[in-house]
Amino acid sequence: MNSTQNHGAHSPSGQASLMEHEYDGIREYDNPTPGWWHALFLASVFFSICYTAWYHVSPLSSSIWDKWRASEVEEFARIFGEFGDLEPDTPTLIKMMNDERMMAVAQGIFQGNCAACHAKDGGGINGVNLTDDHYKTVKSLPDIFNVITRGAANGAMPAWENMISKNERVILASYVASLRGTKPGAARPAEGEVIPAWPIE
Amino acid sequence: MSVQATNEAGALSGAEGDSGAMERFSYDDKIVRMFVGATILWGVVAMLVGLIVALQLAVPQLLNKSGFGWLTLIVNTEWISFGRLRPLHTNAAIFAFAGNAIFAAIYYSTQRLCKARMFSDILGRLHFWGWQAIIVSAALTLPLGITQSKEYAELEWPIDLAIAVVWVGFFGVNFFGTLVKRRERHMYVALWFYIATIVTVAMLHVFNNLTLPMVIAGAINGQSVTGADIAKSWPVYAGVQDAFMQWWYGHNAVAFFLTTPFLGLMYYFLPKAAEKPVYSYRLSIVHFWSLVFIYIWAGPHHLHYTALPAWASTLGMLFSLMLWMPSWGGMINGLLTLRGAWNKVASDPILKFFVVGITFYGMSTFEGPMLSIKSINALTHYTDWTIAHVHGGALGWNGFMTFGMLYWLAPRLFQTPLWSRKMMAAHFWLGTIGIVLYVLSIYAAGLTQGLMWRAFDESGRLAYPDFVETVTALVPMYWVRVVGGTLYLVGMLMCGLNIGMTWARRPKTYDVPVYEAPALSKVYVDPPRPGSRLEANVGLGHKADTFIQGWWHRVWERRPMKFTVWVFIAVAVASLFEIIPTFLIRSNVPTIESVKPYTPLELAGRDIYIAEGCYNCHSQMIRPIWAETKRYGEYSKPGEFVYDHPFQWGSRRIGPDLARVGGKQSHDWQVRHLEDPRQLIPQSLMPAYPHLLKQDLDFASIQARVDAMAMLGVPYAEAVRQGGAERLARAQAERIASELEAQGGYPGLAGKKAIAMVAYLQRLGTDIHAPVGVEEESATADASSSGETPAKEEKR
Repeated sequence: MNSTQNHGAHSPSGQASLMEHEYDGIREYDNPTPGWWHALFLASVFFSICYTAWYHVSPLSSSIWDKWRASEVEEFARIFGEFGDLEPDTPTLIKMMNDERMMAVAQGIFQGNCAACHAKDGGGINGVNLTDDHYKTVKSLPDIFNVITRGAANGAMPAWENMISKNERVILASYVASLRGTKPGAARPAEGEVIPAWPIE
Repeated sequence: MSVQATNEAGALSGAEGDSGAMERFSYDDKIVRMFVGATILWGVVAMLVGLIVALQLAVPQLLNKSGFGWLTLIVNTEWISFGRLRPLHTNAAIFAFAGNAIFAAIYYSTQRLCKARMFSDILGRLHFWGWQAIIVSAALTLPLGITQSKEYAELEWPIDLAIAVVWVGFFGVNFFGTLVKRRERHMYVALWFYIATIVTVAMLHVFNNLTLPMVIAGAINGQSVTGADIAKSWPVYAGVQDAFMQWWYGHNAVAFFLTTPFLGLMYYFLPKAAEKPVYSYRLSIVHFWSLVFIYIWAGPHHLHYTALPAWASTLGMLFSLMLWMPSWGGMINGLLTLRGAWNKVASDPILKFFVVGITFYGMSTFEGPMLSIKSINALTHYTDWTIAHVHGGALGWNGFMTFGMLYWLAPRLFQTPLWSRKMMAAHFWLGTIGIVLYVLSIYAAGLTQGLMWRAFDESGRLAYPDFVETVTALVPMYWVRVVGGTLYLVGMLMCGLNIGMTWARRPKTYDVPVYEAPALSKVYVDPPRPGSRLEANVGLGHKADTFIQGWWHRVWERRPMKFTVWVFIAVAVASLFEIIPTFLIRSNVPTIESVKPYTPLELAGRDIYIAEGCYNCHSQMIRPIWAETKRYGEYSKPGEFVYDHPFQWGSRRIGPDLARVGGKQSHDWQVRHLEDPRQLIPQSLMPAYPHLLKQDLDFASIQARVDAMAMLGVPYAEAVRQGGAERLARAQAERIASELEAQGGYPGLAGKKAIAMVAYLQRLGTDIHAPVGVEEESATADASSSGETPAKEEKR
């Protein structure tokens, strides 16, 4: 490296010259660092400068939080666009119960949040059986919404007000109502009292 | 005894002053033999524990009360649940297997590169036995649930102190002492990497492990601390800052414990085994300094899209990308050193180990930057992809470089030919197939789970809303991992047998050659500075050209202390650039008024959560990603973790995220789920914790926990601090136990650990919606919406 004869000089065999030093028999060649290595290193530095300018300085980029909010708006429009904000009254709950698409969405919410205690098919594990005609706290359709929202049975049924949006709780109530009369695989014994069938409309 | 003259280099490039007197010396190879033995022993242990935890995921009933109950006759299952064994596996693999391997490499090569015996044989023995004692204490404390819960820094403060003493006081002093009394003027590149290792690991270890031990807090507050609590401590950092420090440490433990010392190992043992000169001295300079300076910035890429501020995340990603070429510099220098020697590679298993090891290094250091890209990380984070990535590095790079070194050393250390070359070749192939099976199956598992988590169906709902579906889908791949891991372990056992048999055939007494070399003279004249090669007449151009010819580096190479100071400056400056803003900029962590400290009972539950190692499988950090908030609820805000000493964000979701688990299930569900998860979720992989329902909670220690938190700045009310903690904890336990009974749950649990655990779990993530008091309602509204300040604000 220090003498001109080392710099870029190649022995007749085409091999770069050896450095003069030697450690425990180990020698080193005076090969230059590869050009593509420099190119990619500089490219990564250049990219970093551009990325910082684009992401943190320019208005062209959007943050993960922007994207999340956009998804929220977009998803609401896609799922609930035709209905807008839903109210937990009997006609709305019946209407949702008859809407196949809404019941598919609600089924997903049920699987993710409720099935841990009530079982995927609603037959109940350590949460009550939702498929029979017996109910502990519920007398009418809106009561289902209220139980989901505020919880019941000394907290055995948690309150979901802060965890699931209102529209979702409405269609979830409809979905739970729709489970009545289905035949689960392994059902928990009936609890509470028999209540009249849901109104038709 | 024979006297051998050391190889003299051809012409020296500089001029020695008065040549020192010739000195005779021999090398301490006994210490190398000791480290080699420890490497093999702990390698078997680390891989065996790895196989057990892999089996626990494939057969969840294994080692669980709910499955093979008879096993409890042999060992208490709470000691060997996944959450306690997994840290034992990682610590054993990193600090015991790889650690002893690098010590063997450093003790062997440093003596020869310095033409000097190690500074002190006694320090070497203290280093060896101290380190083994640390490993044994890790193997005893981790199964007992004595842990800091920071990944790869789980060991508690007494062991941390021992590590600092052994690393700096024994190992560091011994190494630098050897440099000082060396007889070789300049330091070879391997030594640069050893210097970087020793200096940086010491810095990382000390600053990530700054904790408040319970006994010290107790002594100040006049409380007695007994039993396992003597080892208990909490980090001085909380939440976002603690997470930052942990991954600054965690990432650079990979860099300076598993990368730089192994590069040093490569630079010594590869040219030795290949009998070829190193490809490029110049490249070794450039990639050494760029690696040392850039690596240290990259830690935040472990925390993309978490509550870490976005600027830190960006630094983590960009410095990881810039790290690609500095890392590959090492790979290039390794592989190109073998130019013209490939015929040897074909016939020599040692070189085969090195080639595969270096190739895995190249793949891992390409994959690392790739995974650090935010959008890719959004898919792979929390999945098995990360596990596959680290095993490519650990099994491929660290393991195979170690094996290559061990087989090269064995005949030289034991002064007899290797017992079986055939078995060495078989080990190579078994190990290679084992790695391939391991990483391919776990890549597939990671990708599968990542894609399942984010999949939506056409109706706009999560395609796999039930988390356990995304776990069951992986079980076949977990079986392939078990097969791959078994092959790798069998290879390790063959290595142990082979080297053990070589040792058995050692000569009665080892020949200890005596070497001769002159001591370094006080005076040394560097060669003249090179002139500029440019013909331009700009002074700056000439200066630059002289500089890039690197003569100044040659001067540094003969000044170990100056070299060490520059390495320290490189790593410390880079660290401070990130650490200072993380701690000082208040807007990084907007406070949330409704977030309050844990109650005394919840705090006790949190410490049980830590002891059981729950963080090994459950994250507590929901990222602002739509699929994730759909599954787990509102994304996590930085202000929610300000009282978390330590943070519990986790890094892997073998089970679902728990950041907002509070209030999602009844107490009864939680208790039954702890007792045996398969009562409620038949496909669950989670260990059973029946002991939590039986063991009494130590209410008496709760006051000391609360007071220690208060010392760390957690604002507990006066009443709680002045002796009220235990009473409050008992009252809350009674309340939860009676609610539990009213829900149809087990009676009589008020005094048990399970109640504290349930109290903690039911609190998680609920503060954000907690009322703050009527007159403060507007303030609450402001605070809870603080996570939704204008986007541009958050991005910075």
